[in-house]
Amino acid sequence: MGEAVTTSATRTDAVRNIAVSVRRVSMAYPAVLAVDDVSFELAKGSFLTILGPSGSGKTTLLQMIAGFQAPTSGEIVIAGQPVQSVPAYQRSIGMVFQRLALFPHLTVAENVAFPLRMRRFDARTIPGRVERYLDLVRLPGLGNRRIQQLSGGQQQRVAIARALVFEPDLLLLDEPLASLDRKLREEMQLEFRRIQRELSVTTINVTHDQREALIMSDEIIVMDRGRIQQMDRPQRTYRQPANRFVAGFIGLTAFLPVEVRSVREGVARLRIGGAELQGTVAGDDTLLPGGAAEAALRAEQVRVATTGAGLRNLDTVLEGRVEDVIFEGERIVYEVLVDGFNEHRVRAFDHDPALHAEYPIGAHVFVGWNVRDLLVFPA
Amino acid sequence: MTGINQIARYKLSRRRFLEGATAAGSVAGISTLGLGQAWADEQPKPAEIVVRAWGGVWVESLKAGVSDPFTQMTGIAVRHDLTEDNEIQPKVWAAVDQGRVPPININWDTTINATKSALRGVTEDLSDLPNLANVLPVAKPEGLEGVPLVNVYAYVYVLAYRNEAFPSGAPTSWNDLLDPRFKGRVALYNDGIGMHAPAVVAGGGKLADIPANMQPAWDYFSKLKAQNPLLGEDPDFTAWFQKGEIDVACTISSNAREAKKNGIPVAWTVPKEGATLDTDCLWIPKGLPAADLYWTKQYVNYAIGQAGQQAWLGPLGLPGVVPGLTPPEDLVGDLSYPTTSDDLAKLLQVSPKIQVEHQSEWFAKFKEIMQG
Amino acid sequence: MRHYSTAYPLSWRIFDAVEALAKRVWPARFAPWLPYLLLLPALLVTGLLVIGLIEIADSSLHVLDKATFRSSESYSLENFERALTASLFRNIGLRSFLGAILVTAVTLVLAFPYAYVLVRTESPILRKLLLIVLFLPFFIGQVVRAYGWLIILGNEGILNTSLSFLGIGPFRLLFNYWAVLFGLVQTMIPFAVLMLAPALTAIPKETERAAESLGANWIRTFQYVVIPLARPGMVGAAIVVFTLTLTDFAIPAVLGGGSNDFIANAIYDQFFRTSDAGLGSALTLLLIIAGSAAVGVALLLVGIGTLGLAGHDDD
Repeated sequence: MGEAVTTSATRTDAVRNIAVSVRRVSMAYPAVLAVDDVSFELAKGSFLTILGPSGSGKTTLLQMIAGFQAPTSGEIVIAGQPVQSVPAYQRSIGMVFQRLALFPHLTVAENVAFPLRMRRFDARTIPGRVERYLDLVRLPGLGNRRIQQLSGGQQQRVAIARALVFEPDLLLLDEPLASLDRKLREEMQLEFRRIQRELSVTTINVTHDQREALIMSDEIIVMDRGRIQQMDRPQRTYRQPANRFVAGFIGLTAFLPVEVRSVREGVARLRIGGAELQGTVAGDDTLLPGGAAEAALRAEQVRVATTGAGLRNLDTVLEGRVEDVIFEGERIVYEVLVDGFNEHRVRAFDHDPALHAEYPIGAHVFVGWNVRDLLVFPA
Repeated sequence: MTGINQIARYKLSRRRFLEGATAAGSVAGISTLGLGQAWADEQPKPAEIVVRAWGGVWVESLKAGVSDPFTQMTGIAVRHDLTEDNEIQPKVWAAVDQGRVPPININWDTTINATKSALRGVTEDLSDLPNLANVLPVAKPEGLEGVPLVNVYAYVYVLAYRNEAFPSGAPTSWNDLLDPRFKGRVALYNDGIGMHAPAVVAGGGKLADIPANMQPAWDYFSKLKAQNPLLGEDPDFTAWFQKGEIDVACTISSNAREAKKNGIPVAWTVPKEGATLDTDCLWIPKGLPAADLYWTKQYVNYAIGQAGQQAWLGPLGLPGVVPGLTPPEDLVGDLSYPTTSDDLAKLLQVSPKIQVEHQSEWFAKFKEIMQG
Repeated sequence: MRHYSTAYPLSWRIFDAVEALAKRVWPARFAPWLPYLLLLPALLVTGLLVIGLIEIADSSLHVLDKATFRSSESYSLENFERALTASLFRNIGLRSFLGAILVTAVTLVLAFPYAYVLVRTESPILRKLLLIVLFLPFFIGQVVRAYGWLIILGNEGILNTSLSFLGIGPFRLLFNYWAVLFGLVQTMIPFAVLMLAPALTAIPKETERAAESLGANWIRTFQYVVIPLARPGMVGAAIVVFTLTLTDFAIPAVLGGGSNDFIANAIYDQFFRTSDAGLGSALTLLLIIAGSAAVGVALLLVGIGTLGLAGHDDD
């Protein structure tokens, strides 16, 4: 890659307020291509989540941004500076690790002061700064505690303070919440979001938890098999998945094999078994009449009722039989075998289980959804 | 008894030897024991007896010269235990103290070490050995009750040297060891054994000064220490000569002779100050069953008989304790194989009693100088 | 019971029988005492050691009577007086302690990177190779190894022969203090690595990465994170190496050329050369006391808890 290109790109980044540019980055291991030609840009102050299953390459990508691994090709630019030749310890990146990686031999304050000492901050300013950041993460006055004396949530906060205290250009979160119990995890998700907004620090979070991604992020990148599947705002990622993988990864989705009869203005007429349906063509995909396709239907978009009248506001209503009932507390998931769909089941959430009796297995019910929620992808 | 008296005794004994007084070629065998064939037949034979020995040429010569003939005559196998002499000693002492059967039947030992065992009272009396009638007086220890050990030969701590290191001829004085060109290339026994007497003389004293005034030896050792000498044991000397680590050493003539036989270009000499003459012995620890003791004594008896001595000591090149032995050809006229009173006059002997009494003190002083 | 017991495999029935027997010998109500029963063999072995120590202590209080070469009846502290005042033993004691300190320091410095690479390498082949090289000396034995150095470092050894092709030497590499220390370091490295490796394994790779991401280069990561966290292993390794070196016999004997004795060699001399078990025992006791004191002081300085520090918070 020529130097001139780099320089001009760098200048452009500064002008466009770009914090991180990843350009055609690949990471090849002998047996696998862990990251395959990934490019994206991240605006200053925004919160990006890289979402994907294990083995999708999301962690490798984060390691390369952090500087722990060198990409086999491509370029990473942080705050206008290409960082290929910058070792991890010279990058202005704060990182919160999966297992936190706090230093057990140091006190809370010493942990937080560590990056300041390593980065040769003026020694006189260190105690004040440490205190400010302990306040920020709501651990005031705990500086003299030993790490082992803190609860899991408090340790999370120390790790955040330590990663942010030196005001890095970029904050990386390597699934730090994965090992927490659900309640604490949800609390910390909001806490991360609060702190991130308060400091407007550009943040890249890596997770396999779709809910976390949706809650915390300004932008979500969905990765699979080393490639970016979709990069979008959370709502678009949720509502308009770019492909079958994204549709399947986010939400509880049932896939129905369908045959395309015709396509007009983004609406497809479909046949499944003996039934006819309408669905929305997802993204820019082109569907050929007569070809096979898959229709994705999220459980939360499907309503269930004992009478068709109960589903009057939906444009697709079908009859079926309850095959299974899964009680999840705040909601109930029904698996319904729709008449004419052969063996393919549709899942539906009942969001108000307290309002009416549970439909027993074998009960005759109506299920309904809107055409815009049945997304059709090429098979 | 002083060293001079000891030498006088030795001279006497050698003179007798030279006169070939009773060189009756005794036929080896049980009949020579004089205890009676019938009585011997009644003693049940042990399957084997264990003789502690030094390795290398030492054990080979004992096996060929004494053990094998003994086995042939009696049918009793002989096993040689090569544990170091000073390491077997505490084991034997402990066994005797605890009333156990000792781990060995015979200890082939230095007379000094054996005297300690005799003083401790762990040795069997050997005065009934028939062949004692034929030996030179030197075979019987002085100053001890009865015959707790029998000396079996004498040996000389010679100055051994690499021929290459002395192109213009053999060294003549122990002071040659102090030549700067031998810095780091001198070897001694690690307990200083064999060097005390020559050191006294080389340091300006006289043999008669021992043990009253050892200062000349300490002065000599201090100078020698500046040479960074190597300190080792018998096998080390051969290895060091072979590997070119040393040029000169104070060692028993047999080691030097064996090295030469093995093709290592070494020679030896008795310098003008003289060289230490010492003896080795055999002794039997207490606590053996009666029959075992009987047959063990037969072994010792054979070892001090004419045939045993000749066959055993020939390869070692050492003068035995019976009259009429034939010296090896290469040692005729060699001071390390003394045969005349003139020879003996040139050697230094300190009585075992004095040595035993002062050993730890001399040893400590030697160590102190060498470990400084 | 008889009619179906034959249906089970023999091994089951044997274990049943053993279990039944165990129940009779050691009824269930004794169960709380079982751990103590299992402690018994260790206690017996330690007890024997204590008895031996008492014997040695007793022996050290009797002077050798050179008329009979037995310990004299009366008690005295003369052996200790000799052991403490003779310049020979002072020299040897100082040499041993100085040697133990130097060997410990050098061994730790050399063993640390070895253990680190052994633990951190991602190459299974390199790890296996390092392990083999580590364990090989254990199979060879100390004396043989020491003689191996004679072959390599001798005047006509491999090293000097190679140097002679360059026209230099031969150098006297053996039979001095440095040769002894060298041999000891070589002997001790495996022990130190084996003590350090678990301590380093306990430090997550992530913790080092954290230090790096916080601005520490590898030197400072070692200085401020790895070494402090590895301290229990380092203290353990130091104690093991120190005590093993202080009490070593073979290396000073073979590589010292006879004039670089350590305390164990002096003790050997008393027991086996001068037959003076009393003085030997006194030296033995002094060695045990001095060695334990040194270890005790070291532990006090670094904190006794250091050895017990086990877990890390991040798992």
